[in-house]
Amino acid sequence: MGFILKYLFVCVLLLLVVASLGLRLSFPGAQSDRPVIYWVTDRNPARELQVATFHEWLAENGHVDERGEPIVELRLDVANRDTTKQTIQSVSGVGGDLMDMPGQVMWLFRAMGVIEDITDDARAMGFGPEQTYEAIQPEITVEGRQYRYPANVTVPMLWVNPDTFRRYGLEPPPPRWTWDEFEALGIAFKEAANPPGTPASDRRFILSAVDSSLTQMYRSTGLSILNETLTASDLDDPRYVETLTRLHHWIYGLNILPTPDDVQAFDAAQGYGGVSLQLFNRGQYAMVSGGRWLLIQLRRFEGLGELSVVELPHRDFPNSLIATRAVALYKGSKHPELAKLFLAYLASDAYNELIVADADALPPNPKLTATDAFLRPADYPSEWGVHEAFVDAAQTIAIGRTYSPYILPTVMERIRKDYADQYNNNMIGAEAAARRTAEVTDRRIADNIRRKPELRDAYAADVALQKKIDELKEKGEPIPEAWVKNPFYREYYRQTGKLISEESTHG
Amino acid sequence: MAESKRSVPAAKRRRMLWIALAFLLPNIIGVLTFTVFPVVFSLLMSFTNWDLTQHNMFKDATPRFVGLDNYVELISGDKFLRFFGNTLFFMMSIPVGIMLSLMAAILLSKNVRAGGGRPYAWLLATAVLVASCAVLAAVGLGKTGMTILLVSTAACILLAGVTGGLTFYRTLFYTPHFVGGVATFILWKKLYGKDSGPVNAALQPVLDVVGSTANATPVLFTVLAWLGVTLLLSVLALGLRRLRIMWTDGDLGSSAAVLPVILMLIPVAASVLWRFAEPYRPVLVGGTGLVLAYHFIYAWKASEKFPAPHRNEGFGNGLVLSMLLMAGQFILLGLLAAAGNTPGMAADGGLEAPSWLNDTRFAKPALMIMGIWGAVGSNSMLLYLAALTNVPGELYEAADIDGASAFQRFWNVTWPQLAPTTFFISVMGVMGGLQGGFEMARVMTEGGPAGATTTLSYFIYQEGFETGRLGYASAVSWALFILVFGVTMFNWKFGNKYVND
Repeated sequence: MGFILKYLFVCVLLLLVVASLGLRLSFPGAQSDRPVIYWVTDRNPARELQVATFHEWLAENGHVDERGEPIVELRLDVANRDTTKQTIQSVSGVGGDLMDMPGQVMWLFRAMGVIEDITDDARAMGFGPEQTYEAIQPEITVEGRQYRYPANVTVPMLWVNPDTFRRYGLEPPPPRWTWDEFEALGIAFKEAANPPGTPASDRRFILSAVDSSLTQMYRSTGLSILNETLTASDLDDPRYVETLTRLHHWIYGLNILPTPDDVQAFDAAQGYGGVSLQLFNRGQYAMVSGGRWLLIQLRRFEGLGELSVVELPHRDFPNSLIATRAVALYKGSKHPELAKLFLAYLASDAYNELIVADADALPPNPKLTATDAFLRPADYPSEWGVHEAFVDAAQTIAIGRTYSPYILPTVMERIRKDYADQYNNNMIGAEAAARRTAEVTDRRIADNIRRKPELRDAYAADVALQKKIDELKEKGEPIPEAWVKNPFYREYYRQTGKLISEESTHG
Repeated sequence: MAESKRSVPAAKRRRMLWIALAFLLPNIIGVLTFTVFPVVFSLLMSFTNWDLTQHNMFKDATPRFVGLDNYVELISGDKFLRFFGNTLFFMMSIPVGIMLSLMAAILLSKNVRAGGGRPYAWLLATAVLVASCAVLAAVGLGKTGMTILLVSTAACILLAGVTGGLTFYRTLFYTPHFVGGVATFILWKKLYGKDSGPVNAALQPVLDVVGSTANATPVLFTVLAWLGVTLLLSVLALGLRRLRIMWTDGDLGSSAAVLPVILMLIPVAASVLWRFAEPYRPVLVGGTGLVLAYHFIYAWKASEKFPAPHRNEGFGNGLVLSMLLMAGQFILLGLLAAAGNTPGMAADGGLEAPSWLNDTRFAKPALMIMGIWGAVGSNSMLLYLAALTNVPGELYEAADIDGASAFQRFWNVTWPQLAPTTFFISVMGVMGGLQGGFEMARVMTEGGPAGATTTLSYFIYQEGFETGRLGYASAVSWALFILVFGVTMFNWKFGNKYVND
């Protein structure tokens, strides 16, 4: 028996060795005679064409080897888009060469030091911050250094189906409107579209769930999540209380906006727009919130007539968020120089034309938005007039999110959501939610400063600066632009005349 | 043995040892690499300030030893205790899960196949279900297609059971265990939908009927609530009486009685903190005081008559009894509060089916119900099924000769014979319960709303991978380990005693 087992063991071992070799030889990287770089991105069929076009772009721009072949092969990695996977792989030295990520993840990865500072190469190779929208700077740069370049840019707006409003004898909203106007139209729509006895499944809403509405709303009162120097929370403020109560009233009181339960029920099939768009098409939602990328789905609906786009309602200060799916370069990449070519490609006409054509949000390079192909696509005349609204918003009212070097955005957002949830569940009042959000955020900042000595000097300097800013605010005097690190306040003070530019200061 | 050992030449023995090691090596390497090393390493990490944002292969800084700082932060902060509370809350479903898996095992140990059992009874039940389905459709409730679907499914299951017998039912009950976790969670998420979910579709008509009854006869619900108060106090009195009898019989020591008594008082203590039980608080507290005083005075007066047993004697029996009664008391407390508050809620716009996953009051129970569903058809049921086949038939015969009823047969024969299995399942359940809840929280609620479903395991994930604080996350892991170890030791010490009792 022992004899048989011994040979069986050897056979199994040999089999495993052969299988391992076979597996290794079948690795995609092993089959290429060129360097291979990986792009960690989402499962979007459009990525295949974008990769093929990159290879063509390389050839057209002379990035070829002696055989005339592109000097690098780009491959998609759609299995590792999850942030946890990216984190673990990155700190372990096996991250993807190029990684798609949202802004808050960039701040985490930049803090971990796993993504490359591309500032100098970006300038030299033509994919610097000046090659994209100014408002997106906080999303791709940290303390003046660039870490990403956008693959697309999105500005959330409200898509309007005017026919739905007119069906109930109502006029569609104007391009810019206030909270009060929104509330009045919402009530009128609810009453006209939902006669008594309407079953829950047939209910009609003026608007689907509003992505990031809370941030946009409190910013429209002139308030940001953090103070001017990013050293403390600013949410313990009556304006945040007003925003919380107003949104709560719209959702749970008037029910002119869907509750989380409604959203959960409707968003069964997620993806590019989810079920919301089906309901928009059927007239169950008069408006849906989203960027230009919703056109990827909207174009598939037959019979969807004229469309228009309006801003999210404001209180006093019209603003919009701006976000990007941007690509960062992994510090552990074996081919960083080749990977940078891909970032240069993202700024090229060849790539931007693809984004223009398939309506995957705004092209990263704004110059492509002035073309007829973008503004008046021949195959979609019903969209004419819609596209410029997104570009206008990106170039006028859009302001990037506020991030701080002293607290991770994921932590800050979790704290804010936690207390907003408690308020929405009637566990605490709006004032308490605002106060506790600020208290806990400040405590986490203090913990970080205590644990990370390298932040202490900068923090102390910023706190001292904040004192000066507070004194100026108290006196009603303008604040020097260089002092304000929060991009929202910089823009808000600039537009409201509370900022002095550096030139004026020097003068 | 020694003879045969000596007869094998040393060289051959060495060769055999090497061969054996060669066979074992892959496993040994695997255990050392993927179990022993990470465990030891995480212990070391828990005493450092390891933070991914500061310490990784791209940063020069090295983690620093911070002593017990992480553990101090853990104890002094509110998060750990809050999420530990959530974890304990979820663990309250463990006894229910065990009870239901035992019931399922007992049911599945009976033969139900047509010809082998009572086919006519099953066919009749099926016919009743189909008829109910038709009636529901006729009176209008059939508009909720889900009602029809549920009733028809139940009818089909019964029919399939009649023809397929035990094999069909055993497979059906075990289904939750081999269906992938995430797929199940997504399914439950849909089931729990407030307006479109089947759970609320079935619940809302019932609530409408209850609401209209409460509006018409609110006094009925007041009576029901006070009946609940009486029952709760009766359960407490019976439990204390049972403990007292065990004590006077010499089956329960004085020290061993302390924890069971405390456990039985917890539901009343909870009613003091729970605003929904406010109207009944004085009676519950006063009644409990009277019951407690009566039993203490009785025990004090009787103490001289009875020989005191060893002070730790019978702890396991007392504990099991008190835990069962505590679960019953909590259920009664919930029901009486629901009955008492129903008229007010019904008058205030009617009774509305809950928002299961988005309301902090219902999110935990919703996940518990799902957990219980999974627990019923789990390995516990299989273990009970196996244990049931090992109960000696002659014990049942002896019970039958003594004229025992079905319940007495279960309580005096089946239950004691299953004690080792119950003990094993309890230990595993508690360990799993303390470590569990991660997938549910991640897939279904992301730990919300307002952290209501964040368990310790999800908290570890958040701290470790969302904020990068590996040192602190390791400290939480080891605190969790200490809890699991402590509870297991407790179970081992007193549970074994209970099994032997």
